[in-house]
Amino acid sequence: MIQLQNITKYYPVGLGRNFILKDIDLTINEGEFVSIMGPSGSGKSTLLHIMGLLEEPSEGQYLFEGERVDKMNEKKRTQLHRGSIGFVFQAYHLIDELTVYENIETPLLYKNVSASERKSRVADVLDRFNIVAKKDLFPNQLSGGQQQLVGIARAIVAEPRVILADEPTGNLHSDQAKSIMELFKELNEKDKITIVQVTHSDVNATYGNRIIQLRDGHIRS
Amino acid sequence: MMWQNFFKTSVRSLFKRKLYTFINIGGLAIGIACFILLFLFLQNEWTYDRFHTNGKQLFRISSAYGEIDQPLTHTALTPSALAPALKTVPEVQTITRIYPKASLVANGEKAINESRFIYAEAPFFTMFSFPLLEGDPATALSGPNMVVLSASMAEKYFGKSSPTGKMLKIDGKDFMVTGVAKNPPSNTHLKFDFVGSYSSMNITDRWGSANYYTYIQLADKATSNALHDRLTSMIKGMMGSNTKYRFDLIPEPIADIHLYSQSENSTERGGNLQYDYMLAIIAVLLLAVACINFMNLATARSADRAREIGVRKVMGAVKRELFTQFITESAIITFLALVIGTVLSLVLLPWFNNLTQSTIRMHLEWPLIVALIAVFVVTTFLAGAYPAFFLANFKPVQVLKGKTPVGKGAALRKTLVVFQFAAAVFFIICTLVVGQQLYYIQHKKLGQDRSQVVVLNGSRFDNNSLAAFKARLLQQSEISQVSASYDSPVNIGGGYGIGQIQGKPADYSMDVTAIPVEKDYLQTMGIDILAGGKLTDADIQDVTREKQEDRRYHFYLNETAVKQLGWTPTEAVGRTMTMNGRIGSVKGVMKDFHFASMKQKIQPLIVFPEYEWFGEILVKVNGRDPQRALARIEDAWKSYQPGRPFDAHFLDDDFNAMYESEFRAGRLLKVFSGLVILVSCLGLVGLAAFTAEQRTRELGIRKVLGASSSNLVALLSKDYIKLVTISLIVAAPLGAYVMIKWLSGFAYHINLGAGVFVVAGLLAMAIALLTVSLQSVKAALMNPVKSLKSE
Ligand SMILES: Nc1ncnc2c1ncn2[C@@H]1O[C@H](COP(=O)(O)OP(=O)(O)OP(=O)(O)O)[C@@H](O)[C@H]1O
Ligand SMILES: [Mg+2]
Repeated sequence: MIQLQNITKYYPVGLGRNFILKDIDLTINEGEFVSIMGPSGSGKSTLLHIMGLLEEPSEGQYLFEGERVDKMNEKKRTQLHRGSIGFVFQAYHLIDELTVYENIETPLLYKNVSASERKSRVADVLDRFNIVAKKDLFPNQLSGGQQQLVGIARAIVAEPRVILADEPTGNLHSDQAKSIMELFKELNEKDKITIVQVTHSDVNATYGNRIIQLRDGHIRS
Repeated sequence: MMWQNFFKTSVRSLFKRKLYTFINIGGLAIGIACFILLFLFLQNEWTYDRFHTNGKQLFRISSAYGEIDQPLTHTALTPSALAPALKTVPEVQTITRIYPKASLVANGEKAINESRFIYAEAPFFTMFSFPLLEGDPATALSGPNMVVLSASMAEKYFGKSSPTGKMLKIDGKDFMVTGVAKNPPSNTHLKFDFVGSYSSMNITDRWGSANYYTYIQLADKATSNALHDRLTSMIKGMMGSNTKYRFDLIPEPIADIHLYSQSENSTERGGNLQYDYMLAIIAVLLLAVACINFMNLATARSADRAREIGVRKVMGAVKRELFTQFITESAIITFLALVIGTVLSLVLLPWFNNLTQSTIRMHLEWPLIVALIAVFVVTTFLAGAYPAFFLANFKPVQVLKGKTPVGKGAALRKTLVVFQFAAAVFFIICTLVVGQQLYYIQHKKLGQDRSQVVVLNGSRFDNNSLAAFKARLLQQSEISQVSASYDSPVNIGGGYGIGQIQGKPADYSMDVTAIPVEKDYLQTMGIDILAGGKLTDADIQDVTREKQEDRRYHFYLNETAVKQLGWTPTEAVGRTMTMNGRIGSVKGVMKDFHFASMKQKIQPLIVFPEYEWFGEILVKVNGRDPQRALARIEDAWKSYQPGRPFDAHFLDDDFNAMYESEFRAGRLLKVFSGLVILVSCLGLVGLAAFTAEQRTRELGIRKVLGASSSNLVALLSKDYIKLVTISLIVAAPLGAYVMIKWLSGFAYHINLGAGVFVVAGLLAMAIALLTVSLQSVKAALMNPVKSLKSE
């Protein structure tokens, strides 16, 4: 599903370069639930962003479902964002001006899903996540855990193949974190969605079936 | 679907950011309202007399005359004998003479003086496109004592019933109403309430005096050039081999009269193309300034929207879609502004008409609709495109990492603020200079004292009734002087010539302006005499002898005339001279005074008593109670001119009327530079509010570290001082250039000093700082703990 080959990422600093990631080789298969861990500043987010095609690697190759995507043009990348990749963020990043319902509906609009299907899909997701009662509320009327639930609902409504989650529970207390992690596990097992999450919590990491340790830009498994 | 999503986000975010929305919509609405008003005004100006079906073939014949080598005098008036002479010209198909004459109109007892009364020949309604609601255009003016009323006059005199066939008393004679015309539009120089038939006036065809307008319709295949050639050779035939004097007849296309005619004495004051262009520039500038607010605030607030954009991009939104979304938002704002602006312009139209002395009405016609659509589209894109482009290009990863591209666009933002303030400073400079020049015109010592002089119509007095009227007035303690003159003392126009003068060769001649006056004219007008004496009763007897050849005239020359003759004032006094057949001598020399517009240098002038006809009676009243004085004058008027309406005005009004278009420009400048400043400040409020908000954390930290509130205000204001200074540097030379050009149109004008620029700069600076500091102070006074917690 995801194949990273010799991925290197650096930023120019003065005359030299500041290497964030060095020669990363990593394969994540379909249906895996991977947790990336490592100290702050070790490049976890950067790695996730590269996987999510939000950042380009400085060197190396990236194959997504067997296709080279590292130097892909914006149009094709957009197609992948619409269909195959879903994101969940630590800070939820819901659109403040849209209601819960509208936030979840938005990815489907970009995917050109018909109105009736949108309606049923959003209804399904709301139902499944038990947030039907909140559908007309705005993000600032929800608790952090509820907001993240909406964030995940939004990420899966377009039925992506992969969910990339950057510290999805970073702003939540442990009870909320637990239910989010269980939800991820269910999505992974029932819906066969590949999940890659970044986390600082050992407990959360155990929900996955593989842990990748990142240190100084290298993987230590 | 997607639209709904965009639309909801836009509308909700507009609601959330109320100040921002208010500034954007408010500024744009003001810009659009002014645009609409100025558009209507200029449309009216620039479509003058373009509605005549035969428009291309319609010409007014105007005349130009004067000595060879001298600039010609252009006048729209022609002699009454011109029309019959044109009958034989093959290029001319139809001719109409027009004679405007205010007349007393009565339906029953009460007579009203109607000033928009013209007498015209029969083809008037077939040549010009003034449609008749009642009556036959071909015959409505075909015989004597016929009159056509405008629709509003028909209602004024006859109410709802049809006036056709009914009678009206006009200047005491019975006229039959033969038609009702649609009210003439505001964009014609031939505005009328009444058109009487020319034949009612018993005018004999003479070449001697030019008091009539001659309009012609060109024959089908003829050109105006061919006509002009024909007229030139016709004049040659009449004047013979005259080498000293030139006379020219010029066909003026009817659509060009309002804006381009140089002729004086037109039926209506012409437009001023220079001021029209100024207004067009103001309209566009004001809109641009409002658009800049939009652009600046939108890019400044981009941090606000950055997260939304990042998220949408991650979900697969492409730039084009984001661009569309922000353009949609811009369109919503513009549309709201358009609606509010249109309503605003409707509300302000009466005030604007008053300001510009016009009678424009708002019709939702195609030109306006097209212009509004154009404004909508251009504003939407001008204001929206850059922010939309700017926002759509955000890199999602930066945004999601929590970095907001705050500093971006700051350079452009600053440039645009400089542009806005440069526009404001420019208008402040213009307003100040125009104001100063107008003040100068009104308060310059003219050499004659026009204050407290009441002007009455003297045309119906004969010498005896005038003397009696004068004596009666002088009995009143409120009245100090009474005199009379041929035309208005502030705008003397009579063209005369000195034929012979003692001490110059026999063939000597000199063009002068001259005015026949009553005995006490010089005292009434407070004109100083440098040499020679006052007029005596014996002098008046000299000029009022029965036979023309027995009369001996007494001339007062002004300094300029004497200088041109090469003498000192005392040398000039007593010399015998002739002027247009009048024999006499120099009675005195007057100190120079302004007797015409300050756009012209003072010319040689002769004031002389002559009791033939006085157009104006001049009554000098005591300053204490002019209202009471006016009442006294009216009492006297009623006993000497019974039945004639009492129409009095102050000489100051005549004077101000000469500068009508300047005063108008001055008033417009004041209002619109105020608006440019207002809209710029609106933008500045938004920008300052935003900067303060953005720097709340920084300010909080500084405060904790010991900065005082005034330190912080200074910190926040520093940037704006720099920007205003730059705009001053940009605007000052531009303003100076434009104003020097404008002032050069006046022979007498103020000198442009540094003061204006200092004042304009300080004013702009003060306004900007006041605006900015309101926001800064708010931010600086905030509790630092609160602001630090908010992060
Ligand atoms: N635009 C940039 N220019 C230079 N350096 C950058 C840039 N973006 C990120 N970095 C550096 O890359 C390194 C890795 O950042 P990254 O966000 O991937 O860390 P992380 O492992 O996610 O840390 P955390 O656990 O704190 O989220 C950091 O040291 C950061 O300073
Ligand atoms: Mg991180």
